[in-house]
Amino acid sequence: MTSEDAASGETTGETTGETTAAGGGMTTEDAATAPARTASGGGPPLLAIDRLGVRYPGRREPALEEITLALAAGELVGVAGRTGAGKSTLALAAAGFIPRVVHARLSGSVRVDSVTTATARASDLAGRVGIVFSTPANQLSASKLTVREELAFGLENLGVPREAMDERIDEVLDHLGIAHLAEREPFALSGGEQQRVAIASIVAMGTDVVVLDEPTAQLDPGGTRAVGELLRRLAADGRAVLCAEHAPTILGLTGRCLVLEAGREVALDRPATALGSAVLGPLGLRPPTILRLAERAGVAAEEAFDEETVAAALARWAARDLDRPGWTPVAGPGGSPDSGGPGIGDGGPSPATGTGPGIGDGAEVRPAPPEPALRPWRPVRRQPPVSVEVRGLVHRYSGGIEAVRGVDLTVGAGEAVAIVGQNGSGKTTLAKHLNGLLRPASGAVLIGGREIAGDPVSVVARTVGFVFQNPDDQLFNRSVEREVMFGPRNLDLDERTIADLVDQALELTGLAEVRAVNPYDLGLSTRKLVALASVLAMDPAVLILDEPTTGQDGPGVERIGAIVDALRRAGRTVIAISHDMEFVAEQFPRVVVMREGRVIDDGPPGTVFAPERVALLASTGLVPPPAARIGARLGLGATPTERALLAALRAGGR
Amino acid sequence: MSSAATGYFRPGSSWLHRRNPVTKLLGLLWALLAGFLLAPAVLALLAVLVVIAAATSGLLAGLVRSLRIPALLVASILVVNALFFPGAKEVLVGFGPLAVTREGLSFGLVSAARLLVAFMASILFLFTTLADDLLEALIARGASHRIAFVILSAVQLVPRLQDRAAAILEAQQARGLSVGGSLGTRLRALLPLVGPILLGSLIDVRERTFALEARAFGARPGRTAYRTVADPPVDRWLRIAELAGIVAVVVAALTGVPG
Repeated sequence: MTSEDAASGETTGETTGETTAAGGGMTTEDAATAPARTASGGGPPLLAIDRLGVRYPGRREPALEEITLALAAGELVGVAGRTGAGKSTLALAAAGFIPRVVHARLSGSVRVDSVTTATARASDLAGRVGIVFSTPANQLSASKLTVREELAFGLENLGVPREAMDERIDEVLDHLGIAHLAEREPFALSGGEQQRVAIASIVAMGTDVVVLDEPTAQLDPGGTRAVGELLRRLAADGRAVLCAEHAPTILGLTGRCLVLEAGREVALDRPATALGSAVLGPLGLRPPTILRLAERAGVAAEEAFDEETVAAALARWAARDLDRPGWTPVAGPGGSPDSGGPGIGDGGPSPATGTGPGIGDGAEVRPAPPEPALRPWRPVRRQPPVSVEVRGLVHRYSGGIEAVRGVDLTVGAGEAVAIVGQNGSGKTTLAKHLNGLLRPASGAVLIGGREIAGDPVSVVARTVGFVFQNPDDQLFNRSVEREVMFGPRNLDLDERTIADLVDQALELTGLAEVRAVNPYDLGLSTRKLVALASVLAMDPAVLILDEPTTGQDGPGVERIGAIVDALRRAGRTVIAISHDMEFVAEQFPRVVVMREGRVIDDGPPGTVFAPERVALLASTGLVPPPAARIGARLGLGATPTERALLAALRAGGR
Repeated sequence: MSSAATGYFRPGSSWLHRRNPVTKLLGLLWALLAGFLLAPAVLALLAVLVVIAAATSGLLAGLVRSLRIPALLVASILVVNALFFPGAKEVLVGFGPLAVTREGLSFGLVSAARLLVAFMASILFLFTTLADDLLEALIARGASHRIAFVILSAVQLVPRLQDRAAAILEAQQARGLSVGGSLGTRLRALLPLVGPILLGSLIDVRERTFALEARAFGARPGRTAYRTVADPPVDRWLRIAELAGIVAVVVAALTGVPG
């Protein structure tokens, strides 16, 4: 399959004369069915990327090669691919940050509104293209006291007259549906609100091209949906929106989706095709659940992200096909995990470490793909399973804000519990009481039946391990191995036991290959695994994970799921805070739902994500996982996972 | 914990709050230059001035409380210099192999006093100046956006580092690091924190630079202002006096006239 068709498609509506070059390098994509490579709307593209190649200084492998993509006014295009595939690099290049702000060698061209970014000055790009990254708090100017002033900041820099500012600000806030935030302090907003303010700040500058790099990675499902809606509206207004993402909620909204692997395009097509098993399977990646179900039920690609259509098709399929012999309940996780041959797992290089490893999520070295067989956790320290009990816990931050308002919770010895709830519902505050980092204003915390009120954190840490959401708050050694050794060394174990624990933790997290590497040479999602390994190596009886799957790609989430499984089998108590409802439903037999500092629901995923609880979940910014939503549409009751949904379909189909 | 936008700022309407940020910045600069360039006797005068300014602005209690921040550093400067001053001859008290020398003690005292005065003047500036007002005032006076950004970052740096240090300290304790107890234990506990704090702040700076870039900060001349920062007429005269003071301090230092 050559790309003749795609190349010829490029001539339509193009006036900028870059048409001939595009065809040569691409051989992989399915040109016959792909929508035209050129922007679908009429007129010249707002964003034209032509045979883009990017190579970071000091790296042998290019981060991007031969990427060609054009976005017309009104287009929302997604960029998908595993961690390190080049998504962030593409976002930086599309926004003109490469080479002007981030140094790298660029070949080919990127043009925004016909301005070539490689030679453009900051003033040429100002007001034409803007970019939003994934850490909400860092997207704001950090010095403004109100959202209104935050939006004014961009206008000031463009030299907009003072008299014209308020009207423009109000118009944008109103149009984007966040007028109620105008006088709020940016730093007091939730992550989802901050991201919407950051996007509004860019839009207020009159920007035609909006680029986003995993904008929802740290948001709760409600915040993710709100950002998705906003992106759709931006496109409907006639802007061009390019969004690198892992979240199917966002990718499903796009008109086209570019899939990258090791810096090259593997597909550019409507999202259901680009993210389908025909494209992702050979890469060792799994399509989103909704697509897996759509493919099973034979839904056409145009409708594969539409839950109602997929549900109806599944019902027909169940009635027709389920009783045929040879039907298997669910494919095992990971697709074909051992397909990760050389090259696939290596990912694209990240921006040079000399410039700081912050935003580019790409890593030079990546952990090996998850093992097909579950690796067990072999307890080294002799500890019986330990229970966790919270009685009437209240926590007040200085300033009098009650973050936890009377929580009673008992987690049995060896139990695995997920805590969910919107940003700011008190999950992390509650969890920090479980190892004594925070002390209750009233109430008590009992670990293994003993109150920990008087114990220093370092003593509780022998029993309760805590993995923080931000790995950079805890990594400080110059190699992964030394980092992982830090915890067990504090336990006064003998050297052989320490070595054994370190080896096991590195094996389970897939970091054995990178044990000598400096953690800061690894991408953010891999640093999170290092932080996890550093706590695992203490072999704690209770493990608390704060948002373990944030920023992880599919294989990363599967790996963390496998670790949770291994710990449960070893009799460890696991408590995880998560926004990822699919991960929660798959891995945890019990889910605790929090809202405004209180527990509002507690039960197995089948109950908590049941159709009749949807309103309760929504009241704390949550949305049931896709399998549960489909099951609800079909009146199948509680189907929190794909497996449960298929089982219910089979039962119903008979 | 304070937000990054407000930092150490304490809302108020005292005479010091009402000064233009540039006036306060020049005053701070004068105090720092005088403290470090002139004879140690000037330090006493500066300390009195800072305390009077704080008291008349209702911030004396806050100033005193904030002194615990540099306490450890001041103590270590004193101890190290008193005991290990190179080339010191006159021994005041000896403990076995260790000896407190006159030269070391006086050098340590002067260094500690300089540090304290500089800290007090700076913290008073931060107490009464909103970072954003400082940025606007600097740009309004024609400062380049880069210089304005560097000064803004410096002002916001300490509260940010404190927040980070607190987060990292928690993470270390959660891995069994004991941080209570003796001074030695505390110092040992401090060491693992320095790395992640510095690395983290580098990442922080990079992300924030990106955010400002995305908002075209400094991209075009002719920047406008949404909020105007007050600049009372008296500030103009104050600034002239401060500039004269700065020149006088520099001249005095260069010509060796004792302060």
